[in-house]
Amino acid sequence: MNSNPSPLNSSRYEGCTLTGALSVTTEVRDAISIIHGPAGCTHHNFSLLHATHLSNDRLEVPRLLSTRLTENGIIFGGEDALEESLARAVSLAPASVFVLSTCIVETIGDDVAAICAKDRGVPVIPVPTAGFLGGVFETGVRNALSSVASLARPATETTLSANLVGEKNLEYGADENATEIERLLSRLGITINLRFVRGIETRDIGRLSSAAVNILREPALRPVGEDLDRRLGTPCVDSFPAGLTGTCLFLEEVGRICGIDATAAVEEERAHQAAMLSRFDDIAGSRVCFQSPHPMLRGDPGAVAICTECAEALDLTVDPDGAAIPLPYPAPVGTAGLRRMLHRWRVLIREKQRG
Amino acid sequence: MKQIALYGKGGIGKSTTAANLSAALAGEGLDILQIGCDPKHDSTRMLMHGTWIPTVLDLIRERGDETITADDVVYRGFRGVRCVEAGGPEPGIGCAGRGIIATFQLLERLDALKGDVIVYDVLGDVVCGGFAMPMREGYAQEVYLVTSGELMSIYAANNIAKAIARLSRRVRSRCTLGGVICNAKNIEGEQELVEEFARRINSRLIAYIPRDRVVQIAELQKQTVVEYAPESDQAAVYQELARTVYGNETTSIPTPLEMDELESFALEFVQV
Repeated sequence: MNSNPSPLNSSRYEGCTLTGALSVTTEVRDAISIIHGPAGCTHHNFSLLHATHLSNDRLEVPRLLSTRLTENGIIFGGEDALEESLARAVSLAPASVFVLSTCIVETIGDDVAAICAKDRGVPVIPVPTAGFLGGVFETGVRNALSSVASLARPATETTLSANLVGEKNLEYGADENATEIERLLSRLGITINLRFVRGIETRDIGRLSSAAVNILREPALRPVGEDLDRRLGTPCVDSFPAGLTGTCLFLEEVGRICGIDATAAVEEERAHQAAMLSRFDDIAGSRVCFQSPHPMLRGDPGAVAICTECAEALDLTVDPDGAAIPLPYPAPVGTAGLRRMLHRWRVLIREKQRG
Repeated sequence: MKQIALYGKGGIGKSTTAANLSAALAGEGLDILQIGCDPKHDSTRMLMHGTWIPTVLDLIRERGDETITADDVVYRGFRGVRCVEAGGPEPGIGCAGRGIIATFQLLERLDALKGDVIVYDVLGDVVCGGFAMPMREGYAQEVYLVTSGELMSIYAANNIAKAIARLSRRVRSRCTLGGVICNAKNIEGEQELVEEFARRINSRLIAYIPRDRVVQIAELQKQTVVEYAPESDQAAVYQELARTVYGNETTSIPTPLEMDELESFALEFVQV
């Protein structure tokens, strides 16, 4: 859950395709990601990933290799440098290798896919990631998810389980959000099959197709969901749940896809939500005013609806003179996400009351 | 030092014209450097009597650019004309345009860009910024367009005029159009047509080179016409061209034709 309007969030819809793809491929822990381009593309992304992991209390070091192209590589073509880097990567005995392209190698027309197609005894997966083609961080995430999925094979049978697809790996709340989905799905007797892709190993990807349903992190990933449905026959829910009603609808939708009657689960969750809200009775009747999270950002389109719903449930009054509440971005996930959001509201309301 | 560049459609005879121009200029007692700026690296071959000299980019590829000296890349040909070939990557890979830029940077570092006249013989189409390098600040101040009376060739020349016009708008640019050279295909009314084209783009026809078998024969002997048949009419044409270019002080900023102007121009001249 992350309603902190940090530049990291906004950059999903800007930023570089390469960075988005690396936020996925580096989560395959026994893989190496080769960045085919000048050394700076790797250094910059290594720094970003490493610093972000540290600030999220993760100590992993991303396994990146650069082909370190310089001017001669550009003039004469960078394919030899890629061959050398692939040999180096394979010598480090990874379970798989991802090869990510950069602006300059796509400009000069290096045939990255052809080089990756050679048999090296280890899966070598190309991911198109040239930023100048107009893609953004999100495009890189999508390209990488589809590329990683090429290591999965259609399953002979599925289990009553779900995959989490496209978790926001650079965000603080990724694990809390996954825990919340796990809690909600357990009401339907559904387990988590695979976090695709977060903290997994190459061989885990093989079981991608065993789930009964894919839960996409957000609707922007719909093309990936459709791709997985086509290739592996797994239907998808297109977003993590948001809002009180939205969370119950989520249970109903997952239930429908998996052929489970969700009536009891929804009732249990409603009761859980009512108990959660009752812990915020102390702020009932307060005045609040919702604001854009940051001058540079527009709020999540669904955020206003979610906040208004919570305000009504808690009998809060929306008023321009009320306590300024930043609209969450992205929307909080599930009931647990709302609870954490309301904790922050309480702090802001009390600050306002104290003047 | 005078620096000139020859541009024009591929196969129009730029390299033949450039090599004969260099040979004729050298005959006037001038120190000439000819630089081939085409990955096909065949600009200076007639001056070198058929020898393929090592290209700058071959040397960079094989040895890196640290240890290359001027003697490694500059070769003396007919009448002492100093010859350089930029070369390029293998066909179908890499970036030839960036190769031209790297070549120029190396030649500058080696202090090889000197003499009375430098002749840049450039790839037919200015496909990217790299191939416009010879037109940029510090290099050729005069561009000569080589064209025949064929429309495809005039179309290419017009495109190069666009590049000159664009580059000339830059603050420190000294790139101008020196004139148009008609390398004839023996089309009826060819000289008048090219002359009129030159006038319409705010330039002038500075030489008409008739088609002559001796050019082919000299080529088979791996020589320039100036060397192979010094007394021929064709050699005299190249000598005249050399004197005109060397003495040329009238240059212009071209006004390239729009597509519809080019088409109506063609209709005026071509008999159908």
